[in-house]
Amino acid sequence: MTNYIIRRLLYLIPVLLGVSFLIFLLFNVVAGDPTAVLLGKNATARQMEELREQLGLNKPLFMQYLDVVKSAFTFDFGRSWATKQEITYMLKQGAYPSLTLTIPAFVISTVLSLFISLFVAYYRGKGIDLFIRFLCIAGMSVSALAYILGFQWLFAYKLGWFEISGFEYGFPEFLPYIALPAIIWIILSLGPDVRFFRTVILDEIYQDYVRTARAKGLGEMTILLKHVLRNAMIPIITYTVIQIPFLILGALLLENFFGIPGIGGMTLNALNNSDFPVIKAMAILSSVVYIIFSLVSDILYTIADPRVKLK
Amino acid sequence: MKSLVIFILAIVFIGCTKEHQFDARELHLISPEKIAGLDPIHASDRYSGLEVGKVYEGLFEFHPLKRPYELMPNLAEALPQVAKDGLTYTFKIKEGVLFHDSPAFPEGKGRELEARDFIYSFKRLADPKLSAKGWWLFDGKVKGLNEWREKSSKEETTDYSAEIEGFKVTGKYTFQIKLVKPYPQFLYALAMPYSYVVAQEAVTHFGPEFLNHPVGTGPFILPKYEQSNKIVYTKNPNFRVKFYPSEGEEGDEKLGLLSDAGKKIPLVDRITVYVIVESQPKWLGFQKAKFDVIELDETQADQALTEERVIKPEFRNLGMRLVSSPQIDISFFAFNNEDKIFKDVRVRQAMSLAYDRKEANKLFQKGTGVIAQSIIPPGLAGYESEFKNPYVAFDVEQAKKLLSEAGYPEGKGFPEVTVQTRNETIARHQIEFFAKCMEKIGIKVQVGMNTWPELINKVSKKQHQMYTMAWGADYPDAENFLGLVYCPNKAPGSNGSNYCNPEVDKMFEEAVILQDGEERTAKYKALNEKIALEVPWIFGFHRTKFSLTQAWVKNYKFMEFNHNQAQYLNVDFEVKKELRKKF
Repeated sequence: MTNYIIRRLLYLIPVLLGVSFLIFLLFNVVAGDPTAVLLGKNATARQMEELREQLGLNKPLFMQYLDVVKSAFTFDFGRSWATKQEITYMLKQGAYPSLTLTIPAFVISTVLSLFISLFVAYYRGKGIDLFIRFLCIAGMSVSALAYILGFQWLFAYKLGWFEISGFEYGFPEFLPYIALPAIIWIILSLGPDVRFFRTVILDEIYQDYVRTARAKGLGEMTILLKHVLRNAMIPIITYTVIQIPFLILGALLLENFFGIPGIGGMTLNALNNSDFPVIKAMAILSSVVYIIFSLVSDILYTIADPRVKLK
Repeated sequence: MKSLVIFILAIVFIGCTKEHQFDARELHLISPEKIAGLDPIHASDRYSGLEVGKVYEGLFEFHPLKRPYELMPNLAEALPQVAKDGLTYTFKIKEGVLFHDSPAFPEGKGRELEARDFIYSFKRLADPKLSAKGWWLFDGKVKGLNEWREKSSKEETTDYSAEIEGFKVTGKYTFQIKLVKPYPQFLYALAMPYSYVVAQEAVTHFGPEFLNHPVGTGPFILPKYEQSNKIVYTKNPNFRVKFYPSEGEEGDEKLGLLSDAGKKIPLVDRITVYVIVESQPKWLGFQKAKFDVIELDETQADQALTEERVIKPEFRNLGMRLVSSPQIDISFFAFNNEDKIFKDVRVRQAMSLAYDRKEANKLFQKGTGVIAQSIIPPGLAGYESEFKNPYVAFDVEQAKKLLSEAGYPEGKGFPEVTVQTRNETIARHQIEFFAKCMEKIGIKVQVGMNTWPELINKVSKKQHQMYTMAWGADYPDAENFLGLVYCPNKAPGSNGSNYCNPEVDKMFEEAVILQDGEERTAKYKALNEKIALEVPWIFGFHRTKFSLTQAWVKNYKFMEFNHNQAQYLNVDFEVKKELRKKF
């Protein structure tokens, strides 16, 4: 397994080279000149030229590509063009609020979905199964924005149960601020998660080994929890772990509407300001985290199913 | 499982809301945009300027109450002496003004402000390595400054000790500036956040992190600025003696705006600024008394105001006050005047005539906008309320006639036009309405939606046929608007319509060098009328700004150039305590 992990980690090199090339193409070749946006409404041609020189946009394209590669491998992303702050510092500042929202919400929604899926699988075909499936589809049909606006108005403004917006650093100070967005995240995730997990569990329920277990006289609950769930874990792990990199990217809409100073809002701001170094940093980090978590899911397969060997 | 239950319980029990203190002289304000650090030379947008203005100060400021805007000394002892040729300005600054305490100074104690600090700050604005957004204010204006900038761009490090002919420190508290040519707007430039004074020690001490460690002379301090959702300022204990004005414009006394006259400012002990981008949380928070002042956007205005644009009774009963003020701005549809189709003035005039501004005003501004007859907005010398532009009237028949004369009868042979705009629903609706108007004269219009960077790029590279935008005043002088159709400013400069007319340029050059007075106003009026008939843009509206304040907020008056406003605001916490139960 060690060899496998080392090999997968080495894959990072060509992937980062590829990502760097794509980023370079997108931002240094295809994208427009950022200097007009960066210098504001009274920018002069001369000033724009000077800024291009300073930002290295006048360098030969190959040199510009090397700069992107260098930052991809050293994780030294320099300073933001718009805020002039160290990007590493900005990421640290933004990661805390983003993760305090996304991690608990993700964990709760995944565990809850799994329980509900087992429950509906147990009562498959019955009224409660139909009702929960109906709720899932109904829930998924409503846009995230409607949940955010509605819940913020009802629970934060009208009933006053939560803070309307804002964020405080430190535990438990942040709880009143992340509670409502976390609940919305959970509700938004329940529909697709329950539907997926239920399908995976039902696929397993009709397998021969389940029939054998029933024939041996095992209880339905024992079969579900001990045998079915274990065998359904591979697709569940794939589905769940692959979502983790996106947690780091934050929750754009939720952060914006609830005034949470996370990475989602930071990325949006960078896009609006042609702040290429920040966008590049986010693109590079996302791909690295994505690769790492796909490796984590591979490793988890071996734990969930000992027949899986990583070679 | 156990930890999950604990977490849920924590959410249930701790997830209660926090109440604001109702007995403190504290203001809770909103910034609708993220702030890009607190370095004056980069404070290009209004919201950055507002934050910079709490910590830093300049030589001059605008009177918080008087209208039209009146310049008054701030760190300067008085308005400068201007030599007869209008080129040499002599300034004397106030004595005993201290910079904020900071580790940048010996023993952490803020030192006294000196004349040399201004020269250093102006040089920073010109330093090519800093790419200051405010360079345009000094570009080509001060003797020797452009040469110094040119030289500095070729050197490894910028030499701030180098002499510049136009800058001369004549004493500890006095200095002179020599201009290349008369520039009467110069004093306005010195009231803008870009030219606020900084200390060289602080810039050197914090290096590239200076923008996160503001060290000014202003009424509030902020030891460290963090890119967050909240900025908390406290009163500067070493702030010099400065008083609330005892004069304002007519009606200010009745509005209670002079009740703090003669009191020492700043009047509040603490200011918290919340960065909230989205509309709903701002509005809900304001209704819950989390925020003290809100500038209403379209959606909020619809909820807070009646069709007639007066405050709804439910909000008035809570003591909330509506402040509506005409803005010094203009919204417009700009032609790319280099596009051959728009070179013919009859085409521009025809399209302007076909645009139903009354209906647009009703649809998009509930009739509160002032229809723009030309480029100069109300509130500035050169604006004429009686002047009516014949091409602003809605007249489809006349439009068709002109279009026909231009060779496009009923719009035949006229190419489809794309109007570029920002990716916003309201902007799209406005262009769709514009398209409907143009359809009446046979011109097909498409909407081009863009992100802000895309739009700016298209305009600066002349890759557009038409675009929509609004321009807000940087300072209260019509030059700031007339320059938008001045040929040397064409793209990538601020003349995005690329309009060039030697006659207009000549009139502009003659007018802008004159000191404020009747002669200049007459020239501005003539230029304004000339531009009106030339129709380089389809003039839109001068918009009205609506703000609501809570009952306990004192001294709030909308200011176009309100960078220094926070120090004049006050909170009546007796009223606040009284109203507490209603929220």
